[in-house]
Amino acid sequence: MESPDDTTQKTSEEKSGLSSAQRRAEIRRRKLLMNSEDRMKRIVGFTKSESENNGASSRVTEPRFHLDLDRIEPWSASSPRLSPFLPEAVGSSHPHSSVPERTGSPLGDCSKVLGGGVVEDVTPGVRQRPRGEAQLAAEDPSHSASPRGGLQKYLSRFDDAMKLRGQLANEKQAQDAASSDTEELDSFRLFRLVGSVLLAIFVRVFVCKYLSIFAPFLTLELAYMGLYKYFPKVEKKTHTTVLTAALLLSGIPAEVINRSMDTYRKMGDVFADLCVYFFTFILSHEVLLLVGSEETESL
Amino acid sequence: MRLLIRGTQTKVTKVVAKMAGCSWFLVLGSVFLCNLFKTLLPSIFSFLSKVLQKDAEHERHMRAEIQEMKKEHNSVSMMDEFARYARLERKINKMTDKLKTHVKSRTAQQAKMKWVVNIIFYILQAALMISLIWKYYADPVTVIPNKWISPLEWLVAFPSGVAGGVGITCWLVVCNKVVSIGLYSIS
Repeated sequence: MESPDDTTQKTSEEKSGLSSAQRRAEIRRRKLLMNSEDRMKRIVGFTKSESENNGASSRVTEPRFHLDLDRIEPWSASSPRLSPFLPEAVGSSHPHSSVPERTGSPLGDCSKVLGGGVVEDVTPGVRQRPRGEAQLAAEDPSHSASPRGGLQKYLSRFDDAMKLRGQLANEKQAQDAASSDTEELDSFRLFRLVGSVLLAIFVRVFVCKYLSIFAPFLTLELAYMGLYKYFPKVEKKTHTTVLTAALLLSGIPAEVINRSMDTYRKMGDVFADLCVYFFTFILSHEVLLLVGSEETESL
Repeated sequence: MRLLIRGTQTKVTKVVAKMAGCSWFLVLGSVFLCNLFKTLLPSIFSFLSKVLQKDAEHERHMRAEIQEMKKEHNSVSMMDEFARYARLERKINKMTDKLKTHVKSRTAQQAKMKWVVNIIFYILQAALMISLIWKYYADPVTVIPNKWISPLEWLVAFPSGVAGGVGITCWLVVCNKVVSIGLYSIS
């Protein structure tokens, strides 16, 4: 099986008067170049010089990812890398096709693409993904059928996730830079903790005889929610955990993840306040008991 | 004499009663110590690795030797003294390989030690927590009037089931959170 590139190469070589052995050696060399690891390196954007490629291809004997080994034409010519992080790959892709390349925001031309070719890619029970794979499907519907298509989809999705994470981090950094610093948040947190401690002591001394101790605490939390807007808003740095990455990869929008993380953090803050409040209450109760018993003993 | 003995006995019983009343403090102390130990674990580990691994000196010696040989290698002309040059190169390669193997084995040993220290710490912590829970399973660590914690008294009293009591699990959670906040703010 020979590609048009090979045939043209062959004719040119014949013209130049090369021997058949040299031609065979050249074809063998090209086939070696097409091994899977080399392709994977191209996919992930690991560019090498031609001479290095030759060395590497002769070194690698067992492909890790079996990717259409019968294929002769170069990988980059027909299956371009869609990553926004690899300008050389994007820039060099599609010398023949007229499909527009993805640039800018992943949400930018989403509606256009959705109107295009994503419909035939949707399978029952599988979540429809509007971004990378939709574009991929629009570019080449045959990709979704082959295993390579799956890999391409995955890589595209991974790119999207990485880009969204980058955007998220940039937004956070911008917000951090805009507001003064993280000390402001610490001051609010400190204020909360000190407020909880003081309230616990106050409740132990005056209120608990008449009321449950949780009622004042709930009031305090409501007051904190009201006071929150008067404190400078400083977003915490996003902790990119495995969970966040997994959620991004599974197609959940970054905004939703961000919001749920915020809610989770607020719940954690309330729990911390409750713990401090309860602890101080018990501590002051025990201290009062101790002091009271010693006073009675001395009397 | 009898009066003196009776006096000491009453004192001892008072102290025991006070100690029994301070079970909340015992739990708090245990949690604090555990958290403190956890915070100091990296420094403890580095100290242990310094004490137990005495090959660092040998490794430093090897590194110095390689540096010296490299200096000598650079000073030797390949054209004029090829034999010496090649011999030195072989020596350097051999020594570098040896050092690499040495470093690899040391790193592996260090990782193993770290793992062992961590495992021991977590086992001890778990044993302490389990023993505390076991001890105060039926008794509350402290008792307050039932009315004060009225909607959540069953949750606070779990697993003791005493009305108005503060159960060991609730107290452990609260202490853990407070101690971690305190240590975090200090560090």
